[in-house]
Amino acid sequence: MITETIKLSQTVKGAGCAAKLAPGILDKALCGLDLPVDPNLLIGLEHADDAGVYRVSDDLALVQTVDFFPPMVDDPFSFGQIAAANALSDVYAMGGVPKTAMNIVAFPAKTMDISILRTIIEGGLSKMREAGVVLVGGHTVEDSELKYGLAVTGYIHPDRILTKKKLQNGDRLILTKPLGTGIIATAIKARLADQALTDMVTKAMATLNRDAALIMDDFTVHACTDITGFGFLGHLAEMVVDSGHGVRITASDVPMYPEALEWAAMGLIPAGAYNNRSFRGAFVDFAPDVPREVQDLLFDPQTSGGLLIAVAAGEAKLLVIALKAKGIDCAAIVGEVVAEPVDRIVVE
Amino acid sequence: MTNELDCRGLECPAPVLHVRDALAKEASNDISVLVDNEAARQNVSRFLEHQSYQVQSDGEGELFRVVGRRGVGTQVTATASPPPVAEQSVAGSKKIMVLITGVYLGHGDDALGDMLMFNFIKTLKEMGPDLWRVVFVNSGVSFTSEGSEAVPFLQELAGNGVQIVACGACLAYFHILDKMQVGEVTNMLEIVTGMQQADSVVTI
Repeated sequence: MITETIKLSQTVKGAGCAAKLAPGILDKALCGLDLPVDPNLLIGLEHADDAGVYRVSDDLALVQTVDFFPPMVDDPFSFGQIAAANALSDVYAMGGVPKTAMNIVAFPAKTMDISILRTIIEGGLSKMREAGVVLVGGHTVEDSELKYGLAVTGYIHPDRILTKKKLQNGDRLILTKPLGTGIIATAIKARLADQALTDMVTKAMATLNRDAALIMDDFTVHACTDITGFGFLGHLAEMVVDSGHGVRITASDVPMYPEALEWAAMGLIPAGAYNNRSFRGAFVDFAPDVPREVQDLLFDPQTSGGLLIAVAAGEAKLLVIALKAKGIDCAAIVGEVVAEPVDRIVVE
Repeated sequence: MTNELDCRGLECPAPVLHVRDALAKEASNDISVLVDNEAARQNVSRFLEHQSYQVQSDGEGELFRVVGRRGVGTQVTATASPPPVAEQSVAGSKKIMVLITGVYLGHGDDALGDMLMFNFIKTLKEMGPDLWRVVFVNSGVSFTSEGSEAVPFLQELAGNGVQIVACGACLAYFHILDKMQVGEVTNMLEIVTGMQQADSVVTI
């Protein structure tokens, strides 16, 4: 008798952050909404940053974010870890410290054993513990497809908020995790990824951006975001558009999974990557010698991707050394902020 | 002859996998693939280019046709094709017989077992050419009959040359002998001798 374990990634349509609603569509729902005004709302919907920030007092603000998605890996515990790391990441990207979290669950109770949900939540809890975050509650609905994530609240000093904007000429851009998890998740779904690679990518996605955030706190960081569903260039475009600056990226310096390049060439690319390119491609100029699969990876939707940090030029190398010393081995300087061309990304 | 594939209604990575499987079965020099979304159009185009096809695609909105062609003049050697397809297109070196004895996969929760069994049947094709024969006995015979969601997947297997057989006595016992929609009726002698002929028998 064969004992078949349930493969979570096979039970859903979209995988991880690749399941995110296409960016252009979301804008149609949100633009022009009559939003309540409050002077203490420091970062709200209209700024479209990683998380919202609300000032409580002169030296304390709340940073709030929510993230949930369908599974991109087959193992329930790992899925819980990845979803939690991904949700917590937005607080780190703002320079905040996460404190409390609530589970958000959609569960297909008719077709899946409830023990799977327990294992997912245990995975999430393991990451909350690592982050020093307490679980204060949650909400579960029955749904045909499994989804899990967290609503996270953290602390931040109102004068030390790291937004996506405020790039300065000469800043170096540092990325802390390799690209390609969206394509690899597609390959996992297609059963082409072997266990060793699946394990390696699972570990990377489950890794908190906490250490990277703690380290960058000691440096002159002007802007930061985390790389998730809109892909590297999609999130970079959010930093660059209307910034009054341009960015030059050296494609060969961007950390990428080699297997993802191979699968991109084979056409195992999630629809989200094409959506990201059609939404933000107009802001990007590729040099003719940047291979198509490299371009694909730069638009690949990432699940629980790394931080993209704009740091003062003179401190960039030291920051990379400090990140590597803490085990963030693939951290690399991938580009720089330039005066021209304004509001554009040049990939060479 | 052009190999025509309809991959409408499929989300990535399914269209690419369909094209891959079709080419593994028959390495035609002309292939035409229908898809209904932009990501599938681009992914299938990339895949065919990767397989040394000259690719053209047209269409808009929700219907695209991707046409791949590789001629005698283009270099198509065994070493030029990428490993994933090459490995899977090797002719079946083993004869695997799968014996399905019920409607649930495993014990514990029947709703879960029901879903797992359906997924198992759907996934059987991943054995590739090694899968030789699938035998249904006892309540398992219902999968070959009218009303079972497994029928199209079994038909696909049968189309790929896999023998689908169901125990005649069992079909009769459940009064569904006339409802059979895929495969052939078999008897115990054939089931037993089949176990001898097979290199391995997987019993579910």
